[in-house]
Amino acid sequence: MIRLDSVNGLASIQDLGRQGQGHLGVPSGGAMDRYSLILANRLLGNEDNTPAIELASGSYELTFEAPSWVALCGATFEAKIDDRPLWHGWRGRINPGERLTLRGPRQGVWGYLAILGGVVVPEVLGGSGTFLAGQFGGHRGGRLASGDSLSIKLEAKASFSRPVGAVHRANDGILRALPGPEMSLFSDQDRKAFWHYAWTVSPQNDRMGARLTGESLDSAKQLSLRSHAVLPGVVQVPPGGQPIVLQADAQTSGGYPRIAVVIEADRWKLAQARTPQAIRFQHVSPNQVEDANLEWQHYFYRLARAMDGS
Amino acid sequence: MQTSIYPLGERALVLDPAPQAALSWALQSKLCWIAEQLRHLPSVEEAIPGMNNLTVVVRESRHLKALQAKLDALWHSAPTEELDSRTIEIPVSYGGEAGPDLHTVAKYHSLSPEELIKLHSQACYRVFFVGFQPGFAYLDGLPETLHTPRLATPRLEVPAGSVGIGGEQTGIYPLASPGGWQIIGQTKEVLFDPKREHPNLLKPGDRVRFTAVEICL
Repeated sequence: MIRLDSVNGLASIQDLGRQGQGHLGVPSGGAMDRYSLILANRLLGNEDNTPAIELASGSYELTFEAPSWVALCGATFEAKIDDRPLWHGWRGRINPGERLTLRGPRQGVWGYLAILGGVVVPEVLGGSGTFLAGQFGGHRGGRLASGDSLSIKLEAKASFSRPVGAVHRANDGILRALPGPEMSLFSDQDRKAFWHYAWTVSPQNDRMGARLTGESLDSAKQLSLRSHAVLPGVVQVPPGGQPIVLQADAQTSGGYPRIAVVIEADRWKLAQARTPQAIRFQHVSPNQVEDANLEWQHYFYRLARAMDGS
Repeated sequence: MQTSIYPLGERALVLDPAPQAALSWALQSKLCWIAEQLRHLPSVEEAIPGMNNLTVVVRESRHLKALQAKLDALWHSAPTEELDSRTIEIPVSYGGEAGPDLHTVAKYHSLSPEELIKLHSQACYRVFFVGFQPGFAYLDGLPETLHTPRLATPRLEVPAGSVGIGGEQTGIYPLASPGGWQIIGQTKEVLFDPKREHPNLLKPGDRVRFTAVEICL
């Protein structure tokens, strides 16, 4: 068991999301920064989809009743196990009765605390992640609170004995994207503004979507579209002209023009971008999407090589 | 007929056969049938109908080419019969605390609240698809005389089960959520429950009727 002695911030159990539920109106959900969750799980030898704790800005104190290992990735939280530091991007051993304290983040938005074997929660609609708006999944369908206890998979045994760490990829704020179905319905000027100007991440940035502020893209505001499915990564332009990039918990359908779609390899950059960070969109071809996916494959391949024998 | 298919991002295609034509239940029925077939394929992650369109997500982008061919084949082999349809009655408490906007909407259309309730509950609606929120059914069939603009300022929280009118649509909020529709009533029916074998009360094809079980003027 893990005892949550104090939770001062938005923390929830997340995995890699649900599949095949979109036609029920259920979003894929899951970790906002999937690669950081995968990284934290791989540092512990867990399956990629193992449920972990996703942490937003705040401070947290957890006591472990059984010996375990933890890994902390994503946003840079300062962490200590009793008095020794747990470095960001590293795995560390934790002994029974020891307390893990986390505070932050200094950089980024979403931190991931993975635990050897994973947090045990019931699967709901094919996933273990918490869908906060729908009040299901994760730990009792909601955010974690002071006084909660979490079960961990005790039979999991570490195949390693030393701490190890990984360098995170840098967030350059450049979101590679493919043009969306309605891109051609915007004026030349709007299209140029979309690709060439910097956009600011507004404070309205949550698990459902990120509103951006900048040039107003209003040439398509008269456009009336039938409702269609939308997915994380889709960039919508509502009549106000300020784009919204859909994120993990986005609604499953919408009716605003879809100006672009951020590629999956870069979605984490927006999730981890903090108000008022500037971001830019970069127009790419389908071949460049493949290259972007290969970058991640290489990253994890190098990690696996480095961890061999650790 | 040439089907219109376009990509959405790196691993999805949208089948959008008649974006300009009048809304058609026959077309919707066909798209729902195609979606059902696609969901059985291991390469398909999601098949999500919209309003007379269908978005299909595959697991890897290399599956897109095969999906394009499959969509084309299914389009040409779809049966002409329409989906099975059930009739679902939704008992509604109209007005009062359950329907704070009943009087505003009635006044907007120069109707008495009773006339408004009669018009809303006598119409027969059809579920075109479920989207936006878990269990939220997009209903076709709101009489034109009841089309009402959304609230200028959305409410921060609308209770689950609220029955509202937004523009040309009527619908039921399955979850407590922020909302900009005019709320005329509330139902005790549970639209979405993740613990049920079929989490959603309503599915495409269903005919929906609202029945007034309580009226509070």
